[in-house]
Amino acid sequence: MAIAGLAAVPQQSHRPHGWRRWLFATNHKDIGSLYLWFAFCMFLVGGVLALCIRAELFRPGLQFFQPELFNQLTTLHGLIMVFGAIMPAFTGLANWMLPLMIGAPDMAFARMNNWSFWLLPPAMALLLLSFVVPGGAAAAGWTLYAPLSVQLGMGMDLTIFAIHILGVSSIMGAINIVVTIINLRAPGMGMMKMPMFAWASLITAYLIIAVMPVLAGAVTMVLTDRHFGTHFFNAAGGGDPILYQHVFWFFGHPEVYIMALPAFGIVSQVIPTFARKPLFGYTSMVYATSSIGVLSFMVWAHHMFVTGMPATAQLFFMYATMLIAVPTGVKVFNWIATMWEGSMSFETPMLFAIGFILLFTIGGLSGVTLSVAAVDVQLHGSYYVVAHFHYVLVAGALFSLFSAVYYWFPKMTGRMYVERLGQLHFWWSLLWFNVTFFPMHFLGLAGMPRRIPDYALQFTQFNQIASVGAFMFGLGQLIFLVNILYSLSHGKTAAQQPWEGGNTLEWRLPTPAPYHSFSEAPQLDVAENGVVVAMQGGKHG
Amino acid sequence: MASGMRAANLTLLRRLLLLVLLMFGFAWGLVPLYRVICEVTGLNRVVVADAMPGRDGAQVAARPVVLQLDAMVQPGLPWQVRPLQSRLQVKTGQFIQLQYELRNNSRQQVVGQAIPRYLPAEAAAYVKKLECFCFRQQVFLPGETRRFPVVLVIDRTLPAAIDSITLSYSVFDVPQGEGRP
Repeated sequence: MAIAGLAAVPQQSHRPHGWRRWLFATNHKDIGSLYLWFAFCMFLVGGVLALCIRAELFRPGLQFFQPELFNQLTTLHGLIMVFGAIMPAFTGLANWMLPLMIGAPDMAFARMNNWSFWLLPPAMALLLLSFVVPGGAAAAGWTLYAPLSVQLGMGMDLTIFAIHILGVSSIMGAINIVVTIINLRAPGMGMMKMPMFAWASLITAYLIIAVMPVLAGAVTMVLTDRHFGTHFFNAAGGGDPILYQHVFWFFGHPEVYIMALPAFGIVSQVIPTFARKPLFGYTSMVYATSSIGVLSFMVWAHHMFVTGMPATAQLFFMYATMLIAVPTGVKVFNWIATMWEGSMSFETPMLFAIGFILLFTIGGLSGVTLSVAAVDVQLHGSYYVVAHFHYVLVAGALFSLFSAVYYWFPKMTGRMYVERLGQLHFWWSLLWFNVTFFPMHFLGLAGMPRRIPDYALQFTQFNQIASVGAFMFGLGQLIFLVNILYSLSHGKTAAQQPWEGGNTLEWRLPTPAPYHSFSEAPQLDVAENGVVVAMQGGKHG
Repeated sequence: MASGMRAANLTLLRRLLLLVLLMFGFAWGLVPLYRVICEVTGLNRVVVADAMPGRDGAQVAARPVVLQLDAMVQPGLPWQVRPLQSRLQVKTGQFIQLQYELRNNSRQQVVGQAIPRYLPAEAAAYVKKLECFCFRQQVFLPGETRRFPVVLVIDRTLPAAIDSITLSYSVFDVPQGEGRP
């Protein structure tokens, strides 16, 4: 359902200044910026933890960290990157761009939006604080498997509370996205016309609403096992630690797509812009995204092939997992078909989008390899898995986020980023990402287990290559930071339409986007993927 | 118009919150669901009711088997568990009686549950226990020591490849066990 006009928006010209603007922020652009900056800070924190891990693994033996602390580093690196960096970054982008792309005046629930952001810093503070409590931070891996998570010290309790808060935050953010997309589209912006980024955000938001409560349930059971005498996961009391894995991965697998689908959405906006062609197969993109969302609920036990499942169950989860490669393949095909015979140019957002397609496909293929139960029994818990999910999360989610930030930076700030630095950032990241993570495939195939601070001597060379790559990759992210900071104040003034091929609704707004946009909804004539054919009305301010 | 939109937004909000609650409930619902699925499919089945003693066993001749006895305690628990003999030469089809001694080394009353384990694991189906302290939770007073008889029969249909069986008990703490004051 779309609206005809939301004339009576209260506080139209209200714009608080100083710290109030941010603490009491209800404007979707302010909240989006908060999310993005917060996510970037957490990306740096999680990155430093990763560099600690790689420093320890540069040589066999124990150099810098004892095994207990090392396990805390791997656990917190995972939790911070997933819940502190990638998910908030996508929510932030959705906050910033969705109302502009579908012609809404703001997000549906402005004050709830404020809450969903401001719950994040305390949650992350709890997580980081857990490093200094007796017993240290949670050390059971980001999956927090029982019985280890039941036995750990109070750092685990802080982690459980942090996850509860993060869950509430992301559920509120997701509800806002769903209501905004369903109810606040401008007239003419039909569901089967709206941009793929909106579709991806919508399906992601539904996944968050469906599975974050399941994670909350799982960690609550761990909490009651720890302190209130229940035995959900304690074999001696009649419980079952395998049950934890089922509950966790019922959340965990859709979570994988929560971090991947918005990336698909971004790439589906960027590729058509720089190929100067409409997105190939828009309808099939929508159905592919939806079916990935549905299938993600049916494959969770492929993370558990070594738990002694019956062969029938292994086969079911194996085939269901392989089935996901079909809609994903449709998407990759469509992106390539969009570029086919396009009039392409290779600005930074396009480079990151193409890098995404290339590397995400590699990660997808190693995923199909892992889905074969007989192969997974060998590779389970090895560095092959680490290589696989970093290909889909770093080269997938993170590259798409860089692409999005470069793509929309002119619209957000009114200034252009420095193209040369952007290109350097891309090529640097592409090179060192592969130097870091490609050798991990070989390490995994050779049998190196993940989450260990020390390893057998024959793994030394590949680990050294990976460690050098990781430090160089980390260094390269400072190029991005410098570029953004410099361009915010000194960048060239951006045109209203900085990209020739940008023809979705956000490029119809003045640059930078006015603080209050579409306070009167425009009348739109929209083609597929949100391409605006004609627009009437639509006031800002 | 704006208020109509507000109402529509709130309706959707309530529906989504309901979905959140349902999924939170679903997480807890997985606990009994998991149990039922395991029962129906026979996964996780530790205790299997025996059929009536088969006649097929009667035709098989008794043969000697070495029975080794062992016990372990979860780290940090105050139990001491030991078999009175650690190695027995027995025959299949024979009633075997042996004894375990359990001691509570702490100053508190404790409740424990012993879980038997067999090596090789295939032997488990052929060892029929008639009497065992592992059948129920055991309450121990501070410092108490007790001896328990274990009576068992090794089925004559035991595969010929198995000529030695190790029976090992692990004792777990039951924090909220029966009989705790």
